[in-house]
Amino acid sequence: MFSEKNYLPFIWGGLLLFSTILMVFGNNTKWLLVFPETLQIPIADYLDAIMLVFVNLFRWLFRFISFVLDWPMRGVQELLSWLPWFTFASLATFIAWQGGGRNTAILTLILLLYIVIVGYWYEGINSLSLVVICIPLAVIIGFVLGVLGYRSPKANAFLQVMLDFMQTIPAFAYLIPILLLFGFGPVVGLIASVIFAAPPMVRNTILGLSRVPPEVRESGTMSGCTPRQRFWWVEVPTAFPQMLVGVNQTTMAALSMVIVAAIIGGFEDIGWEVLGRLRKAQFGQSVLAGMVIVCLAIILDRITLAYAKRQLPTESHSGFRLKQFLMWFVGIALVTYILSLIIDPLRIWPEYLEFYPADGMNELVRIIITNYGEFLEGVKNNMQYFILLPVKLGFTRSIYPITWGFELTPTIIGLYWTIIIAGSILAFVKKNWKLGVAIPFLAGLLYFGITGISWVVYLTVLPLFAYSIGGIRVAIFVTGSLLFLMVAGIWVPALISIYLCSVAVAICLILGGLIGMWASTSDRVSAIVRPINDTLQTLPQFVLLIPAVMFFRIGEFTALMAIVAYAIVPMIRYTEQGLRNVSPTAVEAGITSGCTPSQIFWQIKLKLALPQILVGVNQTTLFGLNMLVIAALVGTTGLGQQIYLALSKVDAGAGIVAGIGMALIAMSADRMMQAYIKATKK
Amino acid sequence: MITQKISKMILSFCVVMGFLCATLSANSEDLGDVDSPIKLAINEWSGQHITTYIAGQLLEKLGYSVEYQNAGYLSQFQALGDGDIHATLEGWTNQLGDIYPVKVEEGAIVDIGSLGLDAGEGWVYLKFMEDMCPGLPSLEAMNDCADKLMTPETLPMGRFISYPADWGNRSEQKIAAFNLNYKAVPGGTEGAMIAELKAADASQKPIFMMFWQPHYVFSQIGEVGWIDMPPFEAVCDSDPAWGSNPDEVSDCGFEKPDTLKIAWSGFQERWPAAWELLAAFQLDNASQEAMMYQIDVEEQDVVDVTSQWIEENEGTWSPWISSAMGG
Repeated sequence: MFSEKNYLPFIWGGLLLFSTILMVFGNNTKWLLVFPETLQIPIADYLDAIMLVFVNLFRWLFRFISFVLDWPMRGVQELLSWLPWFTFASLATFIAWQGGGRNTAILTLILLLYIVIVGYWYEGINSLSLVVICIPLAVIIGFVLGVLGYRSPKANAFLQVMLDFMQTIPAFAYLIPILLLFGFGPVVGLIASVIFAAPPMVRNTILGLSRVPPEVRESGTMSGCTPRQRFWWVEVPTAFPQMLVGVNQTTMAALSMVIVAAIIGGFEDIGWEVLGRLRKAQFGQSVLAGMVIVCLAIILDRITLAYAKRQLPTESHSGFRLKQFLMWFVGIALVTYILSLIIDPLRIWPEYLEFYPADGMNELVRIIITNYGEFLEGVKNNMQYFILLPVKLGFTRSIYPITWGFELTPTIIGLYWTIIIAGSILAFVKKNWKLGVAIPFLAGLLYFGITGISWVVYLTVLPLFAYSIGGIRVAIFVTGSLLFLMVAGIWVPALISIYLCSVAVAICLILGGLIGMWASTSDRVSAIVRPINDTLQTLPQFVLLIPAVMFFRIGEFTALMAIVAYAIVPMIRYTEQGLRNVSPTAVEAGITSGCTPSQIFWQIKLKLALPQILVGVNQTTLFGLNMLVIAALVGTTGLGQQIYLALSKVDAGAGIVAGIGMALIAMSADRMMQAYIKATKK
Repeated sequence: MITQKISKMILSFCVVMGFLCATLSANSEDLGDVDSPIKLAINEWSGQHITTYIAGQLLEKLGYSVEYQNAGYLSQFQALGDGDIHATLEGWTNQLGDIYPVKVEEGAIVDIGSLGLDAGEGWVYLKFMEDMCPGLPSLEAMNDCADKLMTPETLPMGRFISYPADWGNRSEQKIAAFNLNYKAVPGGTEGAMIAELKAADASQKPIFMMFWQPHYVFSQIGEVGWIDMPPFEAVCDSDPAWGSNPDEVSDCGFEKPDTLKIAWSGFQERWPAAWELLAAFQLDNASQEAMMYQIDVEEQDVVDVTSQWIEENEGTWSPWISSAMGG
C-alpha cells in the first residue's frame, strides 16, 4: 500500500532521527515532557458556562418532558408489578412460542423461573418496565432519524458523526448534562437509555432502506403508488427484516444501560440491587442479581430475533394467526390470573421457597483466595513487573533489583541499544524499511514508557502513522484528536487510558486469537466457547469487576483483567468465524499443491481470514475503551476516573471534555484500523 | 415487594395507633402539602440507609407519603438544590465537597442540624502489624515500615488505600504533609475497601487504610489500631507554619466529623410538621451499628430492621412526633 508513496521512507527516517535527538537531548527540558500549561485552554470551564446558560433557558422544557414521561413509566411499572408472576411468565412464554416455537418458549420459561426462584421478581420487573418504555421510544426515534438519513445525504453525513459520538462517548459522561436538564429520578435513566439505545436502530433503518432493490421500488411506482404509498407499502416492508435486527440490537443496548441508569436514580430495580451488592463487595449476591439481567437480556434477545426471523420465507414455525393469538392471549391471562388468586404462591413466590446460594458462592471465593492467594499474587506481580510497568514507565523507570533482579547499568543499556540498532540496520539492508523504522520506535517506547515520551513525538509520529495507513483524512482526524487532548489539559490521563487499553487489547489479541483458532478447528470447543461468549457480552459490565476485585484487589491490574474479560469476546468470535468461513476450495487447492498442514494454516487460512480477524481487533479495541470507564470503579487513574469523578460532582464541563477525549481516542483507533482493513482487502 | 411491606406496615400502625392518626388528620393545617411525596436521598453506605428509612417511616406516621431516591453522595446536593430530592439525612461534614458550600450560599439547600452520630475516621491498621512495624501506632513507625508495604504499582513507595476518589483526597494531602513514604491508591467503593481489609486480615498481610467508624466490619476481623496524629486544630489547615511540616497545611489529625441533616430550601414552607420532625430526629452509634450488623452481616432487609427498631423504641421517637405536631 506504500508503493506509490516513495517519499514515505525518507520522512519516517527523518522523524526517527528527530525523535531520537528529542528524547536524548530534551530529557531534562520540562516543556518537552509535559504539555505546557500556557498552551492549554480551559475548555471545561467554557462548556460549564455554556451549559449553565442553556440549562437556565431550557430547563422548563426538559423538566416538562421528564414530567410527561414519568406517567407511562410509573403506569407500566405498576401494571407489571401488579400482575402475578405466574400470569406474566405464562404470557411471556406464549409470546415466545408465537415467535420462535417450542425451544424459544422453553428457554424463556426456564429463565423467568430463575428470576422467580432467586427472589428478584419484583426488582427484575421494575427494570423490565424501564426497558419496555425505552424500546418503543428508541425505535421510533431511531426509525425517524434513519428515514431522514436515508432521504437526505446531508442529514446522513451529520447523523453518522452524531452516531459515532453517541456510541463512543461513555454513558457516564453524558449522564451529567442529562441530570442537569431532566433532574433526578428514574426518568433520567430512561432518557439516558434511549440515547444509548437509539443508534443501532438508526443505522439498521438506513441500511435496510438503502438496500431495497431498485426493481422493487420501480414496481411500486409502476403499479401506481404515490411516493408516500410506495414508502409505506413497498420500501418499509422490504427493509423490515433489517429493521428488526435494529430492534434487537436496540433492546440489548437498552438493557445494558440498566445498571448505569441505576447510578443516577433507579430505585428497587435490579441494577440498583447489583450496584448495592457490588459496593458491599458481596460476590455471590451480586452475581445472582447480575444473572437476572443476563436472563432478561437472553429472553428479549431470543424473542426479538425470533420475530425478526419469522419474516423470512425459510422459517417453518408460523404460530397462530393474529385473531387466534389474541384470543389465546386473553384466555391464558384470565385462566392464570384466576389460578393465582386461588393458589397464593403463583401470585407472589413465597420466601421459604426461594433458592439463594450466595453464601456458598462467597465461601467458594474465600477458599480459592486462601488456597491460591500466593499463586494469584505471583501472577499479578509478574504481570506488573514484566509487562504493565515497562509499558507504562519504560525500562528506565521499572527495572530495579526487586523487580527484574538486576540493576539497569550503562552496560546493559548500551547492549540493549546496540542490539536494537543492529536489528534495525539489518531490516534496512533486507529492504524492509517498515520493519527497520518500527524496531527502534517500539524499542524506544518500551525504554521510555508510554508516559515518558514527549508529546512532541506523539504529535509528529502518530499523524504520520495515520497518513501512512489511511491517507490525509485519517491523518487530519488523528492530529485534531491529539491536539484536543493536549489543549484541553487531559493529555496525561489520556496516556494512562491508552496504555491500559493497549495492554488489554494486546492480551485479548493473543489469548482471544488462540481461543478463536482452537474453536475453529473443533466443534466441541466451539460449542463450549459460544455460551461463555454470549454470557460475557450480556453480563452487565459491572458484574465482571466483582471476581476481578475479589482475586486481585483494587488497582490497575484488576481493571486490566476486567477489561480483558469483556473485550476478548469479539476477538474470539471474529477469529473463529473468519477461519471457518475460509472457502474449502482454497484449502483443497493448497492440499493438492502439496502444502504442509502448518503452511495451509499460516499461508492460506490465516491470510484469507485476516480481514475478518482485523474487524475483530477493531471491535476489541472499542470494547476495551468502553470498559475502561467502568473499570474506573476499581481504581484506575486515566480518563475513566476523570469521567467518574465529574459524574459524582455533577461537573458537566469536565465530564464532557473527558468523554469527548475518550470518544476521540476510540474514533481515531477505529479510523486507522478501518483504513488498514480496507487496505488488506485489496 | 418492599412497597407492599411498607404499605402493610403503615396499615398496621394506623390500626394500632388509630387515635394518633385521627389527631394527626385533625391537625392537617400544620402538615402542609400531604399529597405530594417527600423524596429522601439514599446514598452509598448502609448506615445512611438505616438513618433514612427510620426518618422516612416516622414521616409516614405523621401522614406523609415518602419516596426514596437513589443519589450519589455529592451529586445529591445538585438534586437537593433543584428540589428534585427534598432531604438527605446523613451528610458527613468531612467530605461535603465543593458543591455543598456553593449550594448553601445560593440559598438552595439548608442545614437542619446534627444527626448526633459520634463519628470518627483515621488511618486504620491491623494489630498484628505491630510486630513487623515496631513503634506503631506512631507516624514514624508507619513511615519506617513503608518498604514492607511496597507493591509494583506504588514502587518504590508503600501502598496506602485512601477513600474512593469521589469522596475527596484528604489522605493524599496528609501523606504529602507528613512527608510519608507512601503512595495513595483510591479505594474504589466501600465494598472494595472492606474486601481489602478482610483479605489482609485473612492472609495476615500488612495494610494501611483510610477508614471510618461506626462500621460493622470491625466486628468481623481481628483487632485494629489507628495511627496517632497530632490532634486537629483549625489553624493547622490554614497556617503552613503550624505542625511538623513548616511548608504544608493539614499536617495534623483529621477533624472530628459531624453528621448533618440537610434539606431543600423549600422544605420548611411546604411540609412544616415534617421539618420539625426531621429537626428533632437523632440517632446514636449503638443503634446504628446494631442495625448495620443485622443488615450487612445477617442479611436482613433494611425495611424490616428499621421498622423493628421503630416498634421497640417508641419512647425515643414519640417526643419528636409530638414536637412536630405541637410546632
